[in-house]
Amino acid sequence: MPRIRTKESWKPRAAATVLALCALLTGCSGPDGSGGAGGEVVLRYTWWGNPDRAARTQAAVELFEKKNPGIDVQTSFAGYEAYKQKLATQAAGGDAPDVMQLDYRMIDQYASGGVLLDLAEQRRALDTAEFEPGLLATGRVNGRQYAVPQGRGTETMVYDTEKWRAAGLAPPRVGWTWSEWADAMRTVAEKTGEPGGTDPGQSEDAFEIWLRGQGRALYTEDRRLGFDVDDLTRWWTFTDRLRREGAVSPAEQTTQLDGSVENTPLGRGKAASDVNWDAPASGYLALVPTGISLAPMPAGEDGTAGQYFKPSMFMGVAADSGHPEESARLVDFLLNDDEAAQILGATRGIPVNESIREDIAADLKDFDRTIYEYQATVEGRLAPPPQAPPSGDSALQTTFQRDYDQVSYERMSPREAAENYLIEAKAELRS
Amino acid sequence: MTTTQLPTTVRKKGVRPPDRPGRPRRREGAAWVFLSPWVLGACVLTLLPMAVSLYLSFTDYDLFSAPNWVGLRNYTQMFTEDPRYWRSVATTLMYVVIAVPLQLALALLVALALRNMKRGRGFYRSAFYAPSLLGASMSIALVWRAIFNDGGTVDNLLGTGGWVNRPGWALFAVALLTVWQFGAPMVIFLAGLQQIPGELYEAAEVDGASVWRRFLSITVPMLSPVIFFNLVLQTIQAFQVFTPAFAISAGKGGPADSTLFYTLYLYDRGFVASHMGYASAMAWVLLFAIGAVTAILFRTSRSWVFYASEGDR
Repeated sequence: MPRIRTKESWKPRAAATVLALCALLTGCSGPDGSGGAGGEVVLRYTWWGNPDRAARTQAAVELFEKKNPGIDVQTSFAGYEAYKQKLATQAAGGDAPDVMQLDYRMIDQYASGGVLLDLAEQRRALDTAEFEPGLLATGRVNGRQYAVPQGRGTETMVYDTEKWRAAGLAPPRVGWTWSEWADAMRTVAEKTGEPGGTDPGQSEDAFEIWLRGQGRALYTEDRRLGFDVDDLTRWWTFTDRLRREGAVSPAEQTTQLDGSVENTPLGRGKAASDVNWDAPASGYLALVPTGISLAPMPAGEDGTAGQYFKPSMFMGVAADSGHPEESARLVDFLLNDDEAAQILGATRGIPVNESIREDIAADLKDFDRTIYEYQATVEGRLAPPPQAPPSGDSALQTTFQRDYDQVSYERMSPREAAENYLIEAKAELRS
Repeated sequence: MTTTQLPTTVRKKGVRPPDRPGRPRRREGAAWVFLSPWVLGACVLTLLPMAVSLYLSFTDYDLFSAPNWVGLRNYTQMFTEDPRYWRSVATTLMYVVIAVPLQLALALLVALALRNMKRGRGFYRSAFYAPSLLGASMSIALVWRAIFNDGGTVDNLLGTGGWVNRPGWALFAVALLTVWQFGAPMVIFLAGLQQIPGELYEAAEVDGASVWRRFLSITVPMLSPVIFFNLVLQTIQAFQVFTPAFAISAGKGGPADSTLFYTLYLYDRGFVASHMGYASAMAWVLLFAIGAVTAILFRTSRSWVFYASEGDR
């Protein structure tokens, strides 16, 4: 007769049940990472990336733990989109990891949201003397160093070496212009019957380089739009015309772009080139059997360079980390230690520490080497990087693509779409 | 004490007046214990988040800084300044109007075919139901994308250039994915069909009624409560469609916003653009819209849903 119970006998059970449920609901909360041995400092370090980066990072972290007894580092990683959302949720809940990898577009938001520690407070643990000053400045918001760049990358036109040669084109040289680029696209289309490359109209990154080639910028110093409807209309008219001519990819191909190299026309074997960042370009190797080359981005018609070295990603420390000094030490180790640099290679871009860059140059292999050599060809010929984009920018990247979709599917004229974009961008930046 | 109380309970159980206070409270207590997982779940996982979301819908919360009270600004912005919002509303409505009737028609058709099947009914029922179990998963949506992509199976067969890459066709590709998952309404239809007395059909047959006549005059009216149930359920689900569109358009609602469903735009505002306040406001509008549509369906049902018990009156 289990139903018949006295108050005295069911109450503790009820209490136990409720307690157990609470424990379940709160996700078995206890002190974070209490798995370590007593007295140890436990740091949480998260990043995004692929398995190769994970293996190298893990090895570097283990070396750090060996050199710093008493510090236990718990690592975790995910794909970029998932990582971005998880980190935002953690930060919103006041539970940001001690050390986190950040994107250029996250810095402003995280810094102004009070999530990040001003790293100047940990100057003794984290040495930035060997960093290029211009690159280091990209991690600064309102004069405070909220993040340090981890590697540097730059945009490139990746092309199928064989198709390029078959079209009778010479390898592009530093300083070639957008109209020379357009002519090359047309030539490839004529000679091979395939578009010369991805329609760059959808890419905010490409637009930025084009815009900077004319001495303008995506954003002003006070974080407002640095261009107007006429600029964007001209850009989209330029790319739209090339698309209509068949010189760049059709809308059906362009709309499939999702950030992965597999879904680019070049990756699908349907075009001869693509515009991308240099580090992820290694992915094309497996897709283009005849081999790829990296070319510099086109410059403005008067030779003004729009291309720049961008910090590929950053490291930041949580403002409410219980161990700011140890966290800063981990950052310092990953960026400044020779052995760590050997392990990490160019997995996060070419290192920003100048002496380390020289040290590991000889040891770089395969595509790491290709990227290094490509960067060497444009070294000293690029414009300085802009400051970190304002918070609304990460949403605007998608908006840019969406509005251009309306152009490439011929549902809007370049001007209509540009007007749309500016309205949305202004609303985004105001909030 | 326990030993004295125990027999009392047993003895009194049978004769206790139903409304007598005091006694039932003990049993209520036990009920609360067993209900506690649900109550706790409802409070912590449903009611509290809902209350927070309602509050956030009046703020400009961006996940990072503290929410600021902005009153009705999110709502007014939504209705007056955001063309993409209205595009998402139109897309969703179009989808509901296309997908729900198609899905229910197919479910009914298959249920009718299975009703008279003597052998292998269990097999076919499972076979048709399986897509409903799998369909909500991301993997099926990704397979769907591969099939309808350019260079995919459908493209190779029909030379369409890939449905999911054409603004005019992408919505149909998503709708087809939903229609294909007709298993759940089919099973319910099948159960409903088995409730219809066979004598009705026999009598009609004797009177010389055609198959079509029998369907219209017996099956549809007798089945109308079940049709109504399925209609309400599937409509509510269709308003909340998310996974297939997210997978097919890589989360962008493309091409050219043609699959920018309400929920997808809500997700975009909340998690891509970090406008949690705006997204919360959108969620509340969706809740009221679904409530309103359901109320309208209930209102119209009076004129076409026939309950067997009505005949007894």
